[in-house]
Amino acid sequence: MKWVLITILIFVIMLIAYAVSEQYKDRYDFYNNLKLFLNQFKINLSFRQEKITEFLNKTTCKKQFKIFIEEYKKFLQTNELNLDKIKVLDDADKKELVDIVTNLGKHDTKSELEQLNGFLLIIENKLQLANENKNKMCPMIIKLSLLFAIGLAIILV
Amino acid sequence: MLKDYLPRDIYNAIIKSFSFNDITEVRMRVNENIIIVVKNKKYYLKDENGAFIKANNLLIENFITKASENSIYAYNDNIVNGFITLPKGIRVGICGSIVTNEDKIVTIKDFQAINIRIPHFIKNCCLMAYDYMVKDGEILNTLVISPPGSGKTTFIRDFVYQLYAHNNSKNVLIADERNEICSINSGEPAIELGGFCDIYTNCSKKFAFKNGIRSMRPDVIVTDEIDLERDLESLIEAINSGVNVVATIHAKNLNQLKKKPTFDKILDEKFFSRFIVLSSDEGPGTLSNIYDEKLNCIYCR
Repeated sequence: MKWVLITILIFVIMLIAYAVSEQYKDRYDFYNNLKLFLNQFKINLSFRQEKITEFLNKTTCKKQFKIFIEEYKKFLQTNELNLDKIKVLDDADKKELVDIVTNLGKHDTKSELEQLNGFLLIIENKLQLANENKNKMCPMIIKLSLLFAIGLAIILV
Repeated sequence: MLKDYLPRDIYNAIIKSFSFNDITEVRMRVNENIIIVVKNKKYYLKDENGAFIKANNLLIENFITKASENSIYAYNDNIVNGFITLPKGIRVGICGSIVTNEDKIVTIKDFQAINIRIPHFIKNCCLMAYDYMVKDGEILNTLVISPPGSGKTTFIRDFVYQLYAHNNSKNVLIADERNEICSINSGEPAIELGGFCDIYTNCSKKFAFKNGIRSMRPDVIVTDEIDLERDLESLIEAINSGVNVVATIHAKNLNQLKKKPTFDKILDEKFFSRFIVLSSDEGPGTLSNIYDEKLNCIYCR
């Protein structure tokens, strides 16, 4: 019975560790998707010139970025943007995102492209940082959690 | 229709005081009272307390952003020409600061005013003139003359419909430079034009006439607001190719039109067989006179 409990405890600790490390992966995925989205939008501006609503409807995405796209669509109808559901972003990140959303589509093609290049520079930096954090933190969290779980198991035994 | 584009309080103020079917224009200028035009009369828009409602630059900017479906870049070709067309043929004229690059208009920014023009499709409004414009099934080259806002576009729009209603199966090419005649939105005309129309929108008359004649084999070209200086060559090309033309032009009356430099050539060469003068005497689209190619009055009100 004791061994079963210890196994469950280790499993739970590792599960929490995995969930925490996923946050870093999700943040990386979010910025990666945002970068792809902005690049696709640049291509759209240069060729098809689809309106933003049509473009958003064709954007395939998942997880946190999907929430962002859904909120963006709502914003186009209501003029209210609620990014609270996006857990991987802090307040400063959200402000930058509001900046992007409220400015896209407000200019002629040339100005839009210039503006997008500016946004992409910011997003590239964010993506790079998110990638570094993901590579650094995820293995560390898993390793430390494993050590902690083993230590706890030894103490309990 | 305007509900999707205007703030709720302004929309409610409009529908509270006016019937949407009567409104022809809604004019907004930065820091000025909003004006509603009903049957050529202007009214200031008032709120529920009776105070005049003023427009501001945010209101105008938001309207244009919504009108362009949050995608100014996709509408910029229209914007540089000073307008956006909404569904149901509503046209939004735009004024503001013109941005140029090497003499080319790039866009309009810092919007100062908009004029929302609401079209009214009046079926049978050209019936009185129809028999003068079509002889034995053949459409005569016709120039419709009237000052702005006197129903020229409504007139030729109905003429196109009447051809269909009278079972005249001529191929009609509509050269709709400003998307005013057909009000096409996503490839679909906002009005019933019949089954024999091919439509070019948002292109120059030169392009529409040249390419249309070559590729669509029209029997008649219908176009709005010709410029006798700029479009004369296209007109001559069409008429000499055996394609009839029904066009409109801005002028108060025939005498004013005669003052235009190229009009003599049009008369000498007998390009047009009918000159139809419209006025606003009894509301827009009032048929005043019809003249033949020698300017004899064959219909006088």
